[in-house]
Amino acid sequence: MQASSTVAQSSIPGYRTPLQERVLQALRQALVLAGISSIVLPILWMMLTAFKLPRDVYSLDSALVFTPTLENLVTIFQHPWNLGSKALNSVLVASGTVLLAVPMATLAAYAFSRLEFRFKKALFLTVIASQFIPGAVVVLPYFLMFKELGMLDTRSALVLINLSIVLPYAVWMIKGFIDAVPIEMEESAMVDGAQRWRVLWEIVVPVALPGIITAAVFSFTLTWNEFLFALILGKQDALTLPLGLIGFRTERGDLWELMAAGGLLITAPMFLLSLLVHRQFIGSLTAGAVR
Amino acid sequence: MLRRVPLHVWLLTPALAFVAAMALFPLGYSLLLSFRSWKLAQQDTPGQWLGLDNYWNLLSDDTEFLDSVWATLVFVSADVAVTLLLALAAALLLQRETRMNSLARVLLILPFVMSPALIGVSFRFFLNPEFGVGHHLVGWIFPAMADKVWLADTTLAMVAVIAADVWHWAPYMTLVVLGGLASIPKETQEAARIDGASEWVVLRDVTLPQLKPVLGVVLILKTVFALKAFDTIFTLSNGGPGTSTQTLAYFVYQTAFNYYDMGYAAAAAYLLTAALVVCAFFYLRLLFRK
Repeated sequence: MQASSTVAQSSIPGYRTPLQERVLQALRQALVLAGISSIVLPILWMMLTAFKLPRDVYSLDSALVFTPTLENLVTIFQHPWNLGSKALNSVLVASGTVLLAVPMATLAAYAFSRLEFRFKKALFLTVIASQFIPGAVVVLPYFLMFKELGMLDTRSALVLINLSIVLPYAVWMIKGFIDAVPIEMEESAMVDGAQRWRVLWEIVVPVALPGIITAAVFSFTLTWNEFLFALILGKQDALTLPLGLIGFRTERGDLWELMAAGGLLITAPMFLLSLLVHRQFIGSLTAGAVR
Repeated sequence: MLRRVPLHVWLLTPALAFVAAMALFPLGYSLLLSFRSWKLAQQDTPGQWLGLDNYWNLLSDDTEFLDSVWATLVFVSADVAVTLLLALAAALLLQRETRMNSLARVLLILPFVMSPALIGVSFRFFLNPEFGVGHHLVGWIFPAMADKVWLADTTLAMVAVIAADVWHWAPYMTLVVLGGLASIPKETQEAARIDGASEWVVLRDVTLPQLKPVLGVVLILKTVFALKAFDTIFTLSNGGPGTSTQTLAYFVYQTAFNYYDMGYAAAAAYLLTAALVVCAFFYLRLLFRK
């Protein structure tokens, strides 16, 4: 009786014995663990390197066991590296971009989400399509334009460029969140005689705020990491953190421990920010593809 | 007077005017530039009108350009294929609710928010033949590789550049595919299982077909970002050794800002744009068909 039921079970396609199931489970876990390691280990390695003395960096024996030092994190702020001023530039450019992008994007997103008007679809497509423009194409006109305006090597120029990069994303993301706000909330407020502007400010913005914050974090991240335009427009006054990194390539070779310390400085704020808004962030970063 | 301006105009003008000024205007300017000769080192204003000469020269006898087209094709196709397969496999693996999987899902966001320039620098560090962990790890697993200097070998340098870009993007794309998997109604998979389909058949005949739109988005988005990739290549291999990892985006940068040949660079940039326009078309169609 028992034997026959085992035969019957194992002839069902897809049925696995407990042993097979356990082996499979272990295999899955091993793969996930391998995946986690391939993400975490390189990051950890860079972070460890930031606390190493040069002699420990250049020897594999002291890969994991070494005397930690804060020296690199001090050195990168000193002459000639001056990552302090670069960090300040990065903060100013990224916050300036976000402060301009978010209100502009919210207004446009509201119009695209709630209002009916001519050319709506074409305009929306144009905004979305503009994120496909390769930096390599617009970098020449930008360079020449800002050269003409005497704005090469200024933070304002970088803010303007980054704004044009993040706006399409921000409009799209915020529109998604406004779409999800129940329209009844607005309608009842309008019945009470509230103006559109007040509805937008007092009802839509508060409800969509998590989404707006997510879009702000995303825009901040893109601007913070932006490299190509900062490389071409920057000379010495408007250099940002990612450019600070290539400064550690010297005639004496690459100064890895300083690069790692600089890398830590670039990365840590982004990790904190992204983990802070983690759930929202992933939802809205992937929604566009799924919806 | 002002009252007659409709609301949507007020709402849209700031963003749209800006997009027009900062995206569409440079695009047009670049196009005009691509028909002219302009060596920035010798003259301050655009020089003579050349018509299609820049394009003709690029396509007919500029081996450096043609090499970079080839490098772009290799880079983009390998990068996209590996990212897509990895993201799909990882998402299928991570969709079960276990504690380790939810930790993994949190960690997936980290590479994506890292500076691509930093990723390039870090890979350079890992692949250093003397003290790079990556170099020694690979040499330990495949002894034949132990003596290879990654960034001095044309093939391996390309592998390194692709690996760095995959490391940056595959985790994020995994999140996208996970989102797609979550939106598939569980009933269809259950029904197939009850009908006696094996897991493999469920995946092939039920899950994957429903996942197609999402995989399409991943495919196109990744192609676009691979075509635009610059930072990682700049900091990891500098386009080298020789010009082996010099993709189109990098070629444009070289031509414009090392050789100061603006018109020629603009023409090359426009050929790159052509490829992106095709991607954009398919992407928008996929997105708005639903």
